[in-house]
Amino acid sequence: MTFRGATVLVGVGLLFAGLVIPVANAQQASGPVKVVQLTGLAGVKDNAKGTLGVENGQLHFVHGKASSEVSAASIQDVVTGADSQRTVGGTIGVVSMAAPYGGGRVLSLFRSKIDTLTVQYRDADGGLHGAIFTMPVGTADVIKKELVAQGAHTTAPGDSTPAANSNTSPSKEKP
Amino acid sequence: MKRILDAGIKLSLFMLIFSASPLRAQKNKPAKIKAAALQVEMIQSDEIKLPAEFQVALYENLIRQLEKNGFSHVYRDGDRNAASVADLVVLHSTVRGFKAGSERARQVTTVSGATSITVHCQFTSSDGTSLLEQDVNGKVRFFGGNLKATYDFAKKAAHVANENFSTPGRE
Repeated sequence: MTFRGATVLVGVGLLFAGLVIPVANAQQASGPVKVVQLTGLAGVKDNAKGTLGVENGQLHFVHGKASSEVSAASIQDVVTGADSQRTVGGTIGVVSMAAPYGGGRVLSLFRSKIDTLTVQYRDADGGLHGAIFTMPVGTADVIKKELVAQGAHTTAPGDSTPAANSNTSPSKEKP
Repeated sequence: MKRILDAGIKLSLFMLIFSASPLRAQKNKPAKIKAAALQVEMIQSDEIKLPAEFQVALYENLIRQLEKNGFSHVYRDGDRNAASVADLVVLHSTVRGFKAGSERARQVTTVSGATSITVHCQFTSSDGTSLLEQDVNGKVRFFGGNLKATYDFAKKAAHVANENFSTPGRE
């Protein structure tokens, strides 16, 4: 085999791996997933970072030393969505807006895809609550499937995140 | 001396007329409707296709802002405790307009990419009699994610409730 042939072979192999690995990663999120709770969980501050997992018929959100549970059976609706957020965010992102010659605006063009998971559940008195989480691409669908398997209801059973299924689908902006 | 006295009298009359106008305006303002508690129904969006996260964010922000505005008893959709409350006011919200916008466009261009949402708010008594109806909108024009429009709506809707309803201990 010539050197050129070997290069082409390695190139094709890398291309194939590039296509397969993200899909494989997207399907592997069975343990707790790092998420941001945007709003809605009782007793949890907005934009709280933590881990989300499904275990023993409960949705667990662990943030710091505290944890919140929602029974899967009390979940009326669980919906996933695709979204995007600024790659350079937080304080640096805000400060960068003041950069000269529109440098900060250029940074705004760089965005990373994320998944959203929206859950509607009822408390002991029957009151309806809603919680929104953002998480890495491909993980929301796995959590949704686990919740549905453990008794949660959904109005969109066939719904899955476009980001997990297709790389060409347009993504929405960050909520 | 007489001229100064005349001018003084005219000035006092002038001041009296202008200071009395706001008082009269306040008297003409309709009396607040008595509401022992508020119940917020889930946001409906049958005609407009609204992402689930927007629907939930509208609902959660609305409840939070109403509580912030001094409504001590804000019941959620389906809460059984609300059934026994006298003078309960129920807030029904229906999405009438939604423009998703783009955070990226806002940050890059400043002038485009605004997110806006229009919600028809109807306050009814527990028997379904309409007490007040109003369209309220929420917008995010420059900074922040698209969901910030739901916060803007919630603040305005809570203000409408605050202006028109009185609860015990908050007149």
